[in-house]
Amino acid sequence: MQFGVFSVGDVTTDPTTGTTVSEGERIKAMVRIALKAEEVGLDVFAQGEHHNPPFVPSSPTTQLGFIAARTSKIILSTSTTLITTNDPVKIAEDYAMLQHLADGRVDLMMGRGNTGPVYPWFGQDIRNGIQLAVENYALLRRLWREDVVDWEGKFRTPLQGFTSTPRPLDDVPPFVWHGSIRSPEIAEQAAYYGDGFFHNNIFWPMSHTKRMIELYRTRFEHYGHGAADQAIVGLGGQVFMRKNSQDAVREFRPYFDNAPVYGHGPSLEDFSRETPLTVGSPQEVIERTLSFRESVGDYQRQLFLMDHAGLPLKTVLEQLDILGEEVVPVLRKEFAALKPAHVPDAPTHASLKAAAERARDLETIEEPIR
Amino acid sequence: MNEKVIAVVTAGLTTPSSSRLLADQLADAVRDELSGRGIGTRIELIEVRDHAHELTDNLLTGFPPAKLREVLETVTGADALIVVSPTFSASYSGLFKMFFDVLDDQALAGKPVLLAATGGTERHSLVLEFALRPLFAYLKALPVPTGVYAASTDWGPNAAGLRPRIAQAAGELVSALHHETPTQADPFENPTPFEDLLNS
Repeated sequence: MQFGVFSVGDVTTDPTTGTTVSEGERIKAMVRIALKAEEVGLDVFAQGEHHNPPFVPSSPTTQLGFIAARTSKIILSTSTTLITTNDPVKIAEDYAMLQHLADGRVDLMMGRGNTGPVYPWFGQDIRNGIQLAVENYALLRRLWREDVVDWEGKFRTPLQGFTSTPRPLDDVPPFVWHGSIRSPEIAEQAAYYGDGFFHNNIFWPMSHTKRMIELYRTRFEHYGHGAADQAIVGLGGQVFMRKNSQDAVREFRPYFDNAPVYGHGPSLEDFSRETPLTVGSPQEVIERTLSFRESVGDYQRQLFLMDHAGLPLKTVLEQLDILGEEVVPVLRKEFAALKPAHVPDAPTHASLKAAAERARDLETIEEPIR
Repeated sequence: MNEKVIAVVTAGLTTPSSSRLLADQLADAVRDELSGRGIGTRIELIEVRDHAHELTDNLLTGFPPAKLREVLETVTGADALIVVSPTFSASYSGLFKMFFDVLDDQALAGKPVLLAATGGTERHSLVLEFALRPLFAYLKALPVPTGVYAASTDWGPNAAGLRPRIAQAAGELVSALHHETPTQADPFENPTPFEDLLNS
């Protein structure tokens, strides 16, 4: 099982000090968090893509490329890549390029983006969100898998004899996850292609997550990619930890109360009960995270949101130490002990490359028979 | 015995409130009307005030807390609704509107609704027609033709005038109960096959 962090990249005033970091400081902080994630033994660093303040990461491959140069093991991913407002041609190029630079340590999570005004800035309309996700992704897949593409669709100018360069590393496209909170169409899309499905899982009751994952698993099996429990599932989580539960609650409460998205609404206690948010001791985080499995089955990737709502970098780095030292090693052991042998791990570049080679070998063996 | 579930949503703020008083009288009239036709009644009374915080939370987080979720399910599962709002600044109250804002916009489709409002003076009585009725028309509910507005005087000197309006509206609501409420397709039970999404 893979463990990691996902960052939204918000610039939020620290409610306890009134300090607001600059965009530059926030960008560098995200890099620092990624390096720390590798240092404490996490498997994945994923970052969001946004085109409006108060968010900084508009250009994820620039940032991930920079991180790639300074890391050697961690998988670089997105949370999410906007499949609706980005040109699929540019996504194909950017992430193939990143794959080469990062020696294959790259995968992506597709998302639609829920900020209405962003769409027209890129010539689109949020009401076409699902259709854009379906059409653009279908094109993206072809650009990575076919050397020369002729294509015509509804949302983008046609392509004639187009080759997206560079070609994916080892001719193996990056693995793709599809993220959606409550659109069954996206679970359906992930299942159809046999891609991964990621549920952000934070900010929502577990019942939403469960329903989406169940649909994805059922349809994954329907489309013949394997049994439902072999589908590739990722979940988000949000935690804040201190040795003593009460200290964690006391320290995190002002950030919670003023946070973007849910601030000024429910109490920390209500929200912790209704959603997977866990503020407490490392042991409480371990227990809560293990309980996700009871709702969605054995899954492959767990990402934590650690760095939003104005938390200072120093605190976030302390949180990553706790996560890497006290929480993830236990989770790795516990999840591994529970997982049956037929449930696969999340695909990586190495495993996809090996699978592609096996498929090629089979073809060569079968050729004389034909 | 056949039983109908009537959800009563009342948005008065004080205890007792005239909105609640009107709600109770309407519910009693509907119960009498149904029992006259040999049908039992289960009244589910919802004081919106009791859920004021949860409604705000729902607007901010996008999902209803557990207690509110139960209440919303009671409303969407009822055979008919009686809704009562106080008149605030020439319209329904903000709290009343919040309750219907957090419902899915298809959740009340085809559901018979008795519209009612209260106010300090009868000069506001058209609030039923220019505020409540368009709201429920948008929600594709079926508001019955007679709405009931009660001003302060309707609880005193004009009480005799209020009773027939209540009886008239209750009769209309019960008659409207024969409508079949359309059931919504569940996209999780029957997802659109991906080939259809690709070709749409």
